[in-house]
Amino acid sequence: MSQFLQQLINGLSIGSVYALMAVGYSLVYSIMNFSNFAHGGVIMLGAYFGYYYLTAAGLPFPVAFIVAALTTCLLAVIIERGAYKPLRERKAPFLYFIISAMGTSIFLENMVIATIGPTFRTYPEILSRTPIQIGSVSVGRLDLTMFIISAICLALLVFFIDHTKMGKAIQATAYNIKASALMGINTDLVIIVVFALGGFFAGIAGVLFGMKYTVYPQIGIITNKSFIAAVFGGLGSLPGAVIGSILLGIIETITSGYFSSQYRDLIAFVLLIAVLVFRPSGLMGKVTEDKA
Amino acid sequence: MYKRSLALLLVCLMILTLAFSGCSKPATETGSEAGGETAAPADEVIKVGWMGSLTGDQAVWGQCEFDTVKMLFEEINAKGGVLGGKKLEAIGYDTKGDPQEAVNVAKRLTGQDKVVAIIGPNASGNAIPIAPVLEEAKVPDIATVATNPKVTVLDGKVKPFNFRVCFIDPYQGAVAAGYAYDVLKFTKAAILYDVADDYSQGLTEFFEEFFKAKGGTVVAKEAFKFGDVDFRPQLSKIKDAGPEVLFLPVFFKEAALIANQARELGITVPLMGGDGLPSEQLFTMAKDAVQGTYIVNHVDYDDPEVQDLKTRYRNKYGKELELNGYLAHDAVVLLIDAIERAGSADPVKITEALETADVQGVTGRIKIGKDTHNPEGKEAAIVKIEGDKYVFQQKYSAQLD
Repeated sequence: MSQFLQQLINGLSIGSVYALMAVGYSLVYSIMNFSNFAHGGVIMLGAYFGYYYLTAAGLPFPVAFIVAALTTCLLAVIIERGAYKPLRERKAPFLYFIISAMGTSIFLENMVIATIGPTFRTYPEILSRTPIQIGSVSVGRLDLTMFIISAICLALLVFFIDHTKMGKAIQATAYNIKASALMGINTDLVIIVVFALGGFFAGIAGVLFGMKYTVYPQIGIITNKSFIAAVFGGLGSLPGAVIGSILLGIIETITSGYFSSQYRDLIAFVLLIAVLVFRPSGLMGKVTEDKA
Repeated sequence: MYKRSLALLLVCLMILTLAFSGCSKPATETGSEAGGETAAPADEVIKVGWMGSLTGDQAVWGQCEFDTVKMLFEEINAKGGVLGGKKLEAIGYDTKGDPQEAVNVAKRLTGQDKVVAIIGPNASGNAIPIAPVLEEAKVPDIATVATNPKVTVLDGKVKPFNFRVCFIDPYQGAVAAGYAYDVLKFTKAAILYDVADDYSQGLTEFFEEFFKAKGGTVVAKEAFKFGDVDFRPQLSKIKDAGPEVLFLPVFFKEAALIANQARELGITVPLMGGDGLPSEQLFTMAKDAVQGTYIVNHVDYDDPEVQDLKTRYRNKYGKELELNGYLAHDAVVLLIDAIERAGSADPVKITEALETADVQGVTGRIKIGKDTHNPEGKEAAIVKIEGDKYVFQQKYSAQLD
């Protein structure tokens, strides 16, 4: 039983990291209908920004954390302006967006390798590594913090989308970008806001990630898993991204805990494919014909 | 239509630029190296290739190897070179840790640069696929830390142009198992290995075989996949199995993450690992968690014999010498000896000389076995992590049948 609880907690904590990254994919997809693969690169840079704000600039942790998130926020908007807007203006097919996104991602990774170098950086120890013991189950302080920060951020995001004017504009644009533009919504601004939000979350995910697993140029690879989680939950749906991520985290840990860690990815992904066969738009995806 | 093709052009251009910016870096690096040394007439320069990771997870090691080779060549050239006055020139390319790229690099070194021999790569996964290229070009290669048996011997047949200066995985696995059981008196071991890596799988297989043969039990054998950063599901299971030692046949990045997470979950048993662990990076990432870890290593860092090399490297580059540097040094020693004994810079003659080589390197005596192209009977150094030092325990050799 304690083994099961421990695995469940492991799964939740892994899942909450996936969730933070998956919402970035889902937000952009809901508006632009393409998967922003540059997201992984922005997360990686978020981790580096956080690291340098903490060590080189000597900022206190909460400040460094917010400033890093704001920096990636700006970066995501710059990427949108530089890599996607020109394509958007030329009404390029969505495949070109994906290629441009992949290019940006490779560019960011290689830029970091060339300028900062390929070696690892380790965050200073901000939270004690001694875990909190509840009975026979141990919960890492960092995991708990990550879980709480993820939950707060996601709650704020949902509030923003549901209760502000801009949030409503995002929803309308997600529903139909042309009609929204005709109704007087500044869709260009909506797109900027969506990228800024995605970038902000990428920064938060990056810093948390860096604290937990150290910083290196290939850290963005981990977003593959969160992208899959976003698809599983239903691309374009925020609750779907969160639920998909948490489920993927738990499925992974339970598989390695009770079946076999050698076959973890195999079993977990066969399960995901099975779900997608019956629900091609994911668990909570919009069922619309034109958005493929 | 016009706009669409323009966009397409733009994207293609962008990708092309990326592709070039990705590849050109190592080339320019070597370009400047080569440029500095091509002052001597072409026939008096002996070109030696180097390959290894200059980007990616193992870049720390690759960079150190290449730097060591360059430093030694400079020193040799300053003392008058080889074969009575010929200068050595190092040409190195990045394999990016990718087997496909390693083959390309080998082709480029042998075909385009016409090197007389190649040093590296350090990873078995990259050293294995280059054999056909070497055989076609008839150029010998001395692998540095590629410990998989298949690097030099395939299906019981020795590969004619592949050599190495390190011991091999079965030996390393046997040493780890023997030391854990006989010296440390552990009877229950757990293993956490990388299911997608030749090195990790090989070491796991031989550790398990030898540990069981001695009478020990492997209470848990868990796997992860390269790129994973969270190991708590596997570690939770390992914790439940109650091992006395956790064997980690992995590289330092994973080892550091695993160590941190294991301690967080309350696993307090000592860790044990192979030659993938020692790195200065291990301490920056997980100093507290790796205390008391036993490592099967190629070299005793405190050995008086190696101090001179360590100092020379530190003075030149302002960094500590990584494990790979020691083996790169021995590869150079082995190669220079072969060139001098061959009395020529002909790759085939160098290969013949390598087959009968017997030199003293900083990692021990290197006596190349004719049927294996491995250094025979090389002892392993067992080191233990205490503070931020690798404290030498003892030399240990295992019996392989």
